[in-house]
Amino acid sequence: MTAVPMTATRAARLRRINTAGAIITILTVLGAIFWAFPLYWGVMTSLKPEQDIVRPGLNMWPEVWTIDAYVHVLLNTMIGTWYLNSLITAGVTTVLVIVMSGAAGYAISQLNFPGRKAIWWMILASFMVPVPALIVNHFILMAEFGLLNSWLGVVLPQLLAPVTVIIYKQFFDSVPQDFREAAVMDGATEVQLLFRLYLPMNWGITTALAIITFIGSWNAFLWPFLAVSSENMMNVAVGITQVSNAFGVQYARELASAIMAGLPVAVIYLIFQRRVTQAIMLTAGIKG
Amino acid sequence: MSSVELQSIRKKYGAVEVIKGLDLSVADGSFTALLGPSGCGKSTLLRMIAGLEDITEGRALIGGTDVTHEMPAKRRVAMVFQTYALYPHLTVAQNICFSLSLAGASMAVQKDKGGKIAKLLQLESLMDRRPAELSGGQRQRVAIGRALVRDPEVFLFDEPLSNLDALLRVQMRIELAKLHSELKTTMIYVTHDQVEAMTLADRIVVLDKGVISQMGSPLDLYNHPANRFVASFIGSPGMNFLPAVVRMQPSGLHAGFEGGAVLKLTPRAAPHFDGGQKVEIGIRPEHVALTDPGAGQIDGTATVFEQLGNTSYVYLDTALGQIIVEADQSVRIHPGDRLGLTLDPARAHVFDSKGTAWATADQP
Repeated sequence: MTAVPMTATRAARLRRINTAGAIITILTVLGAIFWAFPLYWGVMTSLKPEQDIVRPGLNMWPEVWTIDAYVHVLLNTMIGTWYLNSLITAGVTTVLVIVMSGAAGYAISQLNFPGRKAIWWMILASFMVPVPALIVNHFILMAEFGLLNSWLGVVLPQLLAPVTVIIYKQFFDSVPQDFREAAVMDGATEVQLLFRLYLPMNWGITTALAIITFIGSWNAFLWPFLAVSSENMMNVAVGITQVSNAFGVQYARELASAIMAGLPVAVIYLIFQRRVTQAIMLTAGIKG
Repeated sequence: MSSVELQSIRKKYGAVEVIKGLDLSVADGSFTALLGPSGCGKSTLLRMIAGLEDITEGRALIGGTDVTHEMPAKRRVAMVFQTYALYPHLTVAQNICFSLSLAGASMAVQKDKGGKIAKLLQLESLMDRRPAELSGGQRQRVAIGRALVRDPEVFLFDEPLSNLDALLRVQMRIELAKLHSELKTTMIYVTHDQVEAMTLADRIVVLDKGVISQMGSPLDLYNHPANRFVASFIGSPGMNFLPAVVRMQPSGLHAGFEGGAVLKLTPRAAPHFDGGQKVEIGIRPEHVALTDPGAGQIDGTATVFEQLGNTSYVYLDTALGQIIVEADQSVRIHPGDRLGLTLDPARAHVFDSKGTAWATADQP
């Protein structure tokens, strides 16, 4: 490849691009600092003794490092139970959402049955209903079923996931018909087609949706807060509100409990961030 | 028994009828090609045999058993798709044995059967690869292997070579011919390529707009096309069609061309007519000989000269339209050359105004 000779015009253009690039980089870094600062401040505060936090002045770096707040939360609250509740409800929600959405998406995409189009339009139309608008209905239903203060009561309303159904349906639509026909010739039933062909061919989508569903369910606050009043059935997002209630405003402990609540999903995000980005792009494409 | 019989088969998509009351018998162990242009219904017919399309009317029998309403997997047929349809998330071994694993066969059985198929199709070194890591020819063999492992009574091929390059197509044609010779299983092969049909099939069924135009052996269709459509579809380059008027003379049938040329035709089964009958004389490029201008029945001017190495083709403009002539590879023609054309009357076909051929006297 021959090198393009450097003319005065080209040099000036390159200088303009470099300047623009530098300005954009600086603005991006400033934005990142602005966004990350509260996180940094929270972590630093949680590692300070309580008396240092309330002292006047801005101390960006702890003079004395301590993990007392974390130890206190671990030993004197039910955070272990709250983790377990979160793991169970988020895990069960994820598995059920993926299985049910996958099956629903497959049925709408591949099967021919009366009312298929009507069901599809209902799922699409359900986007117009914001979930908080259904909160009261969910509460009354769960109360009548006797499911308040139970894992099932927390999980059931979270199974409403039209977005995952739509994403699955779209991806199943894009599977070439030849694959289905070849599998039908090989003797596959509809269940085998779903679990041996369509889902495995879309494992990436399933992984992305599972991760984002898990994160969403782990971080869920409003519904678990309403559905559960018993401290030993709370998930971690609700449970950490008990820390301040029990001990008054203890900044270090409150921040420590918040960080511990968010840490598992932060780790999951760091490991699977590509898949999370993929899932967000999929859902944004639908909602857009 | 693995014969295939279709009785009064019709297929409609809404108000559009794509297969119109078709009857077809495919003999046990034969290699039958369904040949025709795009949209003629050949793939639809194949898919109806496979069970992937419903039959609107009529019956389909495989091995004497009515399978009209039977599920595809229970018809004892296997299909090789145009796109191969290899499962991308499975290895070659898993692709081949997929039907066995669906049926719950043990790993030992899968390994044994898969191994035998792999040996037959020379896929042993590829068993752990995924389809994306294979060449076109290798994918084709895996697709055939997947069909073979089901031990079907009938193989169905839906344009399996159309995605391959010309050289690979020739190689795979030979492999398919060898496979048929070894297995002696009934094979039904859909193609729009008449060279594939001519070289592979024992019998060709030519379809046109949902009806069978003619069926017979490749040479039968080539030498005795029943109508203009078959005559024009079989053979490459295609047959020349020359407008003429046929008259019954004391010495026999004579075809008169514009410009005064006359061709005395060999005896054939002509319908009764008085005076002259407008027809088309069909003659293949290899049955027209080049001669000096004025020495043949027709004169023309060369426009294009194609040399293929083993033969050559001359395209001439004449008063009767374009005529293609196959010439010896040693002939040298230049565009603009004036040439005479001699037609072989024994190899001339007569097509009436409806396109139906008048059978020659030696035809059954």
